[in-house]
Amino acid sequence: MKKTPVKKPARKSEATASAATAPAATPKVKVATMWLSGCSGCHMSLLDIDERILELAKHVDILFSPIVDIKIEDMPKVDVAIVEGCVNNTDQEHELKMLRERAKVLIALGDCAVTGNVPSLRNQFTARDCLSRAYEQTESTQIACIPNDPVVPKLLPRAHPLQEIVKVDLHIPGCPPDADTIWYALTELLAGRIPQFHEKNMRYD
Amino acid sequence: MIAPKKITITVNGQICEGQQGQTILEIARANNIYIPTLCYLKGLTPWGGCRLCIVEVEGNPKLVPSCATPAVDGSKITTHNERIVAQRKATLELLLSERNHICPICPYNKGDCGLQHQAISHGITGIRYPYLYPALPVDVTGRYFGMDHNRCILCTRCVRTCDEIEGVHTLDVANRGIKSQIVVDMNTTFGASDTCTQCGACVVNCPTGALFDKAAAFRGQWTSCQQVYTTCTECPVGCGLMVHTKENRIVNVWGDPNSPVNTGHLCVKGRYQIWAEPRERITTPLIHGQPATWDEALATIAQAAKAKKEEKALLVAPRLTNETAAAVARVANTVGQVAMFVGTNEAALCADPSFSEEALRKLQDADAIILLGVQPSRDHGVVAARIRVAVRKRGAKLLIFHARKSDLDAYADVAANVVSLESKLWNKVKAVLAGSQRPALLYGPHAMTPIGVTVMERLIGILEANPGGEPLLLGLPISPAALAMSKAGIPAVEEVGPWLDAKSLKYLHIVVGDAPDGGASLLEEKYVPALLGQIACVVVQASYRSALTEKAHVVLPSTLWCEKSGTITNVEGRCLPLRPVVPVAGEARDDQAILERVFA
Repeated sequence: MKKTPVKKPARKSEATASAATAPAATPKVKVATMWLSGCSGCHMSLLDIDERILELAKHVDILFSPIVDIKIEDMPKVDVAIVEGCVNNTDQEHELKMLRERAKVLIALGDCAVTGNVPSLRNQFTARDCLSRAYEQTESTQIACIPNDPVVPKLLPRAHPLQEIVKVDLHIPGCPPDADTIWYALTELLAGRIPQFHEKNMRYD
Repeated sequence: MIAPKKITITVNGQICEGQQGQTILEIARANNIYIPTLCYLKGLTPWGGCRLCIVEVEGNPKLVPSCATPAVDGSKITTHNERIVAQRKATLELLLSERNHICPICPYNKGDCGLQHQAISHGITGIRYPYLYPALPVDVTGRYFGMDHNRCILCTRCVRTCDEIEGVHTLDVANRGIKSQIVVDMNTTFGASDTCTQCGACVVNCPTGALFDKAAAFRGQWTSCQQVYTTCTECPVGCGLMVHTKENRIVNVWGDPNSPVNTGHLCVKGRYQIWAEPRERITTPLIHGQPATWDEALATIAQAAKAKKEEKALLVAPRLTNETAAAVARVANTVGQVAMFVGTNEAALCADPSFSEEALRKLQDADAIILLGVQPSRDHGVVAARIRVAVRKRGAKLLIFHARKSDLDAYADVAANVVSLESKLWNKVKAVLAGSQRPALLYGPHAMTPIGVTVMERLIGILEANPGGEPLLLGLPISPAALAMSKAGIPAVEEVGPWLDAKSLKYLHIVVGDAPDGGASLLEEKYVPALLGQIACVVVQASYRSALTEKAHVVLPSTLWCEKSGTITNVEGRCLPLRPVVPVAGEARDDQAILERVFA
């Protein structure tokens, strides 16, 4: 974020920080969001910034996201990548590494991305046992069969928080992080600063 | 006694006064200087394990744990600087990476957890170390609480609480290094433990969600609850309760730390049994088992109560508030007979009701404790805890004279399950009591048997012959309000059968109140079920359904401990308040109001 296109007066308060004051002619910041092993709650929390998303849209182009119609092979280079969820299978690992190569700043958004959280509960068991429980032993199982089509990504031996796979520039914990926290982090980044989280905008649950 | 020497230390440039022997943390806290802690808990032996309370002492190259370091006169201490905070952060990151701290699925999240609070206040977003994700067990075999090792930080607050407050030392640490783990007894489960008293003090003192209350889990964070202070009415000790409530429901019950009676500690009865047990509540009046309105029920009673005065009787449970007891005494002249049903040998104990002032505080200082015909570990858990701590931690002598065995026998110098009068036993008793300065004699209902009285006389003889101070005498009935109600003039009966048989009754009014068994114990006595069957109208005033309320012609719903206001008097003669914690359920009414309405 060295060549930050948007310059804003320095402001600490996330609620009042506004991107509206920025000059309109500057090029927009390119953003990608990625959804790995998570519940999409962090993306929901991002949408929970409500009408502020219009402000954000003035300064940001979301080029790659679960809600952008784009193939993984066409992943563009971006300034900021926001990743929700942890890495659970070979595809996710591949996609995350791809994104890391193309992104200047990579943000781990939410507890799954930061700590592994609920998906990491399976780390106490072997991957084989987890698959067996899910596909062979559930109460509703009729035909026991663990999917083995080569198209289906292979489950990794354990779930990994992002920092175990790639370098993470910023952690935003929370399950999910508050919309205000996300807004604060984004506006601080747009202003060319590294967000400093305080007690009031941090949570682990 | 020599007064401890005054010392002065400088903390962050602020001059703080304290006493020789106090730790840096104690002096800092007393001077409103904040030092973060996790394993420290006031009242427990310092452990120095979490390393969050580290401070810099000028001249010492190492950071020292302030909770376990005695302050030295004139020392200069820094609590926060870059180096200290960086080490605290590293410690917290190590704690978070070591086990599976998954906050979203923990009932102690959102402010209840000390670890989470410290990590957030230190601004820890992500951690630099690899997460270990160890496979750890969860013990949910306990009736009221469980232990999730995934959330444990090995602060040993539970171990120290179990050892130093409840005095049973059920919990301890097994293994070494990263394999260390809290264990129950010799590595068994709470469900299989034969020493755990289920007092739940460890759960209250756990800074994380490693120990959790089952009934309270996911009902709301206690930090977001309202706290209401009231008094436990399950035994004559009268412990202070701090009830956490949310949206008019009880979330959890803890001991009131400011209560002069129990200073925050509770037994399983007050902590769990009064609220965490499933019981069938009566919320409307019942006529022949069918729900009815109060008007219908009162009309039915008025019809039956037209009987002659001597054909009517009022039988009450020994657990009423002082106000209700006074109301019973007032209405006594409108019925032929009034009595309170008590346990075996309790009537004699109540015959001459006397209170023992400050007994529970004095008990903490006693150097010899004699238990005669009383079983505190079953009936008065908080007293048992004080006895265990006195014996195990301060070396007080313990002598037990009781036919029943209890866990206290293991600590006793003399445990006579069969009392004999042979001189060998009594010589030993004399030897143990010799030199005792502050002896305490606790006697219960079974001290009132002929053999009990003989033993009591001998014991008092020995104590009087000793040069030590005046012995503390504390009569401990089992029934919560038996002493206070006797004092209010309500006669006690032990055997309800003969009492009923002696009169030809047409109308019997039984006040059971909020007894957890709903009065079912009355029916255990021989002939009572048959005798009740002969009475034209039996009215039962109770909170919970039971075999007795099934037999009653009319059942009137009475309020629970957590819905009542009023006072109770404990064995020390303290008048303790009851405060309504939650709104009255359904159409239940206060026992006093019902009595005044029925016998108006």
